[in-house]
Amino acid sequence: MSVKRKGPRATATRVATYALLVTVAIIVLFPFVVAVSTSLKRNTDIFTYPPSLVPRTETTVTDPERGLDNATVYVLPDEEGRFALVEADVPIAEFRRLDDPGVIIARPPTDGVETDRTTVVDGDEETVYLLEVDGEEVEVYRARLTVGGRFEPLDGDGASVVTLVNLATPDRVFGPRFENFSEVVTEKNLGRSLTNTMLVTMAVVVGQIVTSILGGYAFARIDFKGRDQLFLMYLGSVMIPFVVLIIPLFQLMLQLGWTDNLVALIVPFMFTAYGTFLMRQFFLGIPKEIEEAALIDGASRATILWKVMVPLARPAIATLATFGFLYAWNSFFWPLVIINSGNPDNGLLTLTLSTLGGRSSTDTNLVFAGAVLAMTPPILVFLFAQRYFVENSASSGLK
Amino acid sequence: MSAVTFSSVTKRYKDGPKAVDSLDLDIADGEFMVFVGPSGCGKSTALRMLAGLEEITDGELRIDDKVVNDLPPGDRDIAMVFQNYALYPHMTVRENIGFALEVAKMPKAEAKKRVDDAAEMLGLTEYLDRLPKALSGGQRQRVAMGRAIVRSPKVFLMDEPLSNLDAKLRVQMRSDIIQLQARLGTTMVYVTHDQVEAMTMGHRVAVLRNGVLQQVAPPQELYLRPANLFVAAFIGSPSMNLMRGRVTVDDGVVGVSFAEHRLVLAPGAVERYPGLLDRSGTEVIVGIRPEHFAMEGDADVGPDSVMEVEVNLAEAMGAEVHIHAELDVPPASIDPSLVDPGVDPEALPVDKTLLIARVDGVHTVAMGQRVRLAVKTHLLHFFDPQTGAPLR
Amino acid sequence: MTDPTTMERDTATVGGAQAEKGMTPGLRLVFFWHIVGAAAAVVMMLLASRTGDEELPATIGIFLRFFAIASFVAHAAAAFGVAQRRRWGRTVSLVVNYLTFVVAVVAVVHQLGGFTGIGKLGTGFSKAFVPFLVIAVGLIWVLVAGQIAANKPAARGPKQLRKAGWVIAGLGFVWFVIAADPSGMLSTFFERIVQPVTIASLVLAIASLAATRFMWQRDVGRVFGTTASTERALTGLAFLSPNLLGFLFFFAGPVIFSLVVSFYDWKTTGTSRSFVGVDNYIQALSIDVATSPTANAGGEVLNSGYQVLMHLDWFGQHWVLGARDVTFWLSLRNILIFLVLAVPLAVLPALFLSSILASQLRGIKVFRAIYFIPSVAGVIGVAIIWGQLFQSTVGWINYIIKRAGDILPFVDAPAEGQAWLSSNSTALLAMVIVFAWMSFGFNTVLYLAGHQGIPKELYEAAEIDGARTWKIFRRITVPQLRNTTFYVLITTSILALQLFDIVWILSTPQPGGPDNATMTPVIALYNEAFKQNNRGYASALAWVLFAIVFVFTFAQFRRERDGATGGMA
Repeated sequence: MSVKRKGPRATATRVATYALLVTVAIIVLFPFVVAVSTSLKRNTDIFTYPPSLVPRTETTVTDPERGLDNATVYVLPDEEGRFALVEADVPIAEFRRLDDPGVIIARPPTDGVETDRTTVVDGDEETVYLLEVDGEEVEVYRARLTVGGRFEPLDGDGASVVTLVNLATPDRVFGPRFENFSEVVTEKNLGRSLTNTMLVTMAVVVGQIVTSILGGYAFARIDFKGRDQLFLMYLGSVMIPFVVLIIPLFQLMLQLGWTDNLVALIVPFMFTAYGTFLMRQFFLGIPKEIEEAALIDGASRATILWKVMVPLARPAIATLATFGFLYAWNSFFWPLVIINSGNPDNGLLTLTLSTLGGRSSTDTNLVFAGAVLAMTPPILVFLFAQRYFVENSASSGLK
Repeated sequence: MSAVTFSSVTKRYKDGPKAVDSLDLDIADGEFMVFVGPSGCGKSTALRMLAGLEEITDGELRIDDKVVNDLPPGDRDIAMVFQNYALYPHMTVRENIGFALEVAKMPKAEAKKRVDDAAEMLGLTEYLDRLPKALSGGQRQRVAMGRAIVRSPKVFLMDEPLSNLDAKLRVQMRSDIIQLQARLGTTMVYVTHDQVEAMTMGHRVAVLRNGVLQQVAPPQELYLRPANLFVAAFIGSPSMNLMRGRVTVDDGVVGVSFAEHRLVLAPGAVERYPGLLDRSGTEVIVGIRPEHFAMEGDADVGPDSVMEVEVNLAEAMGAEVHIHAELDVPPASIDPSLVDPGVDPEALPVDKTLLIARVDGVHTVAMGQRVRLAVKTHLLHFFDPQTGAPLR
Repeated sequence: MTDPTTMERDTATVGGAQAEKGMTPGLRLVFFWHIVGAAAAVVMMLLASRTGDEELPATIGIFLRFFAIASFVAHAAAAFGVAQRRRWGRTVSLVVNYLTFVVAVVAVVHQLGGFTGIGKLGTGFSKAFVPFLVIAVGLIWVLVAGQIAANKPAARGPKQLRKAGWVIAGLGFVWFVIAADPSGMLSTFFERIVQPVTIASLVLAIASLAATRFMWQRDVGRVFGTTASTERALTGLAFLSPNLLGFLFFFAGPVIFSLVVSFYDWKTTGTSRSFVGVDNYIQALSIDVATSPTANAGGEVLNSGYQVLMHLDWFGQHWVLGARDVTFWLSLRNILIFLVLAVPLAVLPALFLSSILASQLRGIKVFRAIYFIPSVAGVIGVAIIWGQLFQSTVGWINYIIKRAGDILPFVDAPAEGQAWLSSNSTALLAMVIVFAWMSFGFNTVLYLAGHQGIPKELYEAAEIDGARTWKIFRRITVPQLRNTTFYVLITTSILALQLFDIVWILSTPQPGGPDNATMTPVIALYNEAFKQNNRGYASALAWVLFAIVFVFTFAQFRRERDGATGGMA
């Protein structure tokens, strides 16, 4: 694998390898592409078949000469060119051929010439009509009377067509709807959730950095009795899954009066055993002599930590900040437990999204705009901090 | 007045042997004291106790007549240069040198002047705004020195400061440090495993072994009057040839024989080792420094001070030739790994002793050749085979 | 203050006496302070027992009594130790005063509404979003300039830049404070700070801080004959304390509480809080097996209290498997199926891909970054996307299957779109797909780290021996990555066992649906704890789940301890 080869065989292998990598990359990225496209769609454009990645908008036409004012443009089945809907609620009859009842023929009721014959459909007696289809007179019956639309051809001077509106497809062209984002922020209260999430994330990250630096330094560099036992306790703590903590922590928040308050999302999470390990490992890697030199230079432990260790620990702090950011930004289970989802003031992105995009969601486009807003910061942070993040997730197995 | 006093200072690690065992040592004001010994002898531990980086298990340590046992390093008025320099990687040379002054909250103008002076003295002025990573090994070493001298401490501590430099630079820095110490007149405690450094630099040298102080003396005295077998073997390069021999005293004439060789001692030897006279007929350890051999004819000695050996190996060094030969005597009972840590004691022959002789470089010596070596017998050393004490 | 350097060791008592001179009034004050503290603790003990369970919740009463006893003992010991000038006296006094300080500060902040005020800060934030962004820009500016300055220490420019960043952040902050309009907060602040409890806490905080600082001085330490190791222990504990206190209060305490609660019938509705021993665990774990002559026998063949879990037709017999808590057992069955399907799907592709990515092809970093994105994007957003992809009528999954069916003869696409999420048979499979999609990128990176531990010579030797790619993969890569594989399997399994978010968003019509087809242990626990309010029983479920997870963590722990980690963790 490490030996470089040339020749057609090697080229073929390389092409195949890239093809595989690109395929997997498409599998990974496709859902995100769908998300972005959906976030720019109109709601009516989402539930169309076949699904499309292009956010489309319905076109309208305004032509005072023809009396068209903002009329929606449609494409009709079996008709060439584009049509404008000029009149809705036109009475319409749904005819069905006697020899082929599966095909719907929508026409003005007057088109059918009534005969005195009848036919039996599903046990009901129906009058037989004669109808001209493609220049041929066929026998039909009238399945029902309803209303449709009258469509005026836009290209050429053909006659207007009256047909069922749901048979017509709006003529959609590329047209992203950026208002989805502003609407979800303002109307769906996602703006407040966004600020809350930022506030919580920032506080958690800063808190974790401070406590982890202090604790990690003590564990790495200050030797005292019982330190190693304490560290073992920290080490053991990561074996306990968070679900074990949910109930007692909820009870604790209840006693403190912190339920349904952002503080419950911040203070308990400012202390992290993982972060403490991360910082400890990094501090252990800094040569001991550097610290001894500072001790001899007369610096106190606090000065050493602040002026020598912390500047050197920048990569580890960046890693810790990234982990903390991703953890706090994406956390869902605990907010779900502790925050009352009915209270708009304490919403978080994840919570609000799960409520919005829940089982009875209607504004799918807005939900997706919200999802894109929620996913962008962590992805950006990851891309910027990739260097630290990838290295450290690999070396410490943090998740 | 003593600058530093060790009184029965002992360091014992948890469940371990004593790293430093009841060290008693006075270091005078302005003295250049070198701690030397093989690795693990406790020299670094002693220095680190002096620095306050290791706790003292027992005994008392004074700097300037003040007990410092429980004083933190920063309050001891000392400065230290580490083997790996321990420069602060994120600080410029100026910040590195000035850090102690910044911590001590010295007024900025004065601190700047001190840093500039130190840099000037060490030739670092043009590098003041560089980071340590942009410096060469020698420059880093000098920054470490600058960090020490800028504080004008009571005592300088140096822990093998030259061992990370290449040979040429080491010689240069050696003389620089000697001159610097002479100029500043500050007490210096210098740790090294290199006995050449110890001999060339120290006013006095303290030889340690297994945490126990063996001898403290000026370099020349260490060489001429080693306090015991260990010091004798440790000081000098190549190290002293030691072998078991039998003493004969015949009418005031003292002779010593080992393997098939017999040497009659010049009177000087007996003057220095009068204990020989009581040892007639007993076994002693004979020590011959390699440089106290010569080709017969080069030295003015009688025929009874000549031994003939077969050359195992001849290393031509230019100015001199090192002749290696094997003697059919058991080696002297000193653990050779203490002298030369690279030697595996198990691998050495049990009934042969390696002899090394330094002779003038003008001679051409071939392997397998038999040569006659003159021995300057008045310079021989004699030790008790049981205690290793000199037969003085 | 005495000059510390004039102290001499052989006259330690004299030196102590010298130091004592300046310190005696202060130490006497500290002594009285501890006597007062001990007395206050007695009063608190009496109060706690008087008010008892009527006014205060039981847990707080117990906690208060414990706290009072502990502080009485500590204060009394500190007073004695200080009076006797014992070395431990100073340590106890320092610990007591420091902890008192922390508690008092927390009490002050609590009284002033500082904690719950964080929630209100959100309001300020949303009002002052733009200035907040300005602050953020300023701080990022500072960081970037700092980075430049660190690389070019001599240049003046970056330092000026950094100052400019601070100025921007500072101006942003001023704007932020104006825009956020803290007047409401300030008025609450002044309203509350004059309350007696607040003032008392404040006084306590200041006094204990003063005592801590006084006792911390090295000269005071000398009076008590302190040693370097004691000083170091105190320093170490001081550095560790924020972390440790948080750890104890928000982790260790709750864990113990959870264990205790799991032995109680602890319902939040009503007042029943009775000790029931291991009944909760029995309720959770009980299963019953019966044979029945008919294929679809109901619960009547089982012991009372049991419900049918599943029917089995083995060895010509109809077996009925029943459990007391059918939902929990179903969730266990589901999570087991999930584990078996999802873990290989999340691990095997990672193993293959990492082997490709480990070679030095161009653009590898880009692919690596892309593969990682799903695991950082946030599970809620991801689940929402997949919900749309799985949509039965217009979803992409069904569309792609249909198009594949048009092209490829062997793909048999159903005429009606598959209702992935609302069909019992496919709902869990959908979760498996989402989980694997989210996890494999992370695992790939873990594997890549494992690859770095494989000596390159092995590959070169194999190439020289003429081994083909597949053979190299089989005989060198896979065995060499054994430890990484173990680690990846374990961590992925632990994650899978705690499956919650994906199912919470995707399952329909309610979490765990349809018909409990995607019920997971954590969802079952959530429902018990927060829908049924059976906190005691839910805690027992949590510990059962812990036991299952622990099997995996312990396996990893053992392996790590045996030194077979291959550079991992």
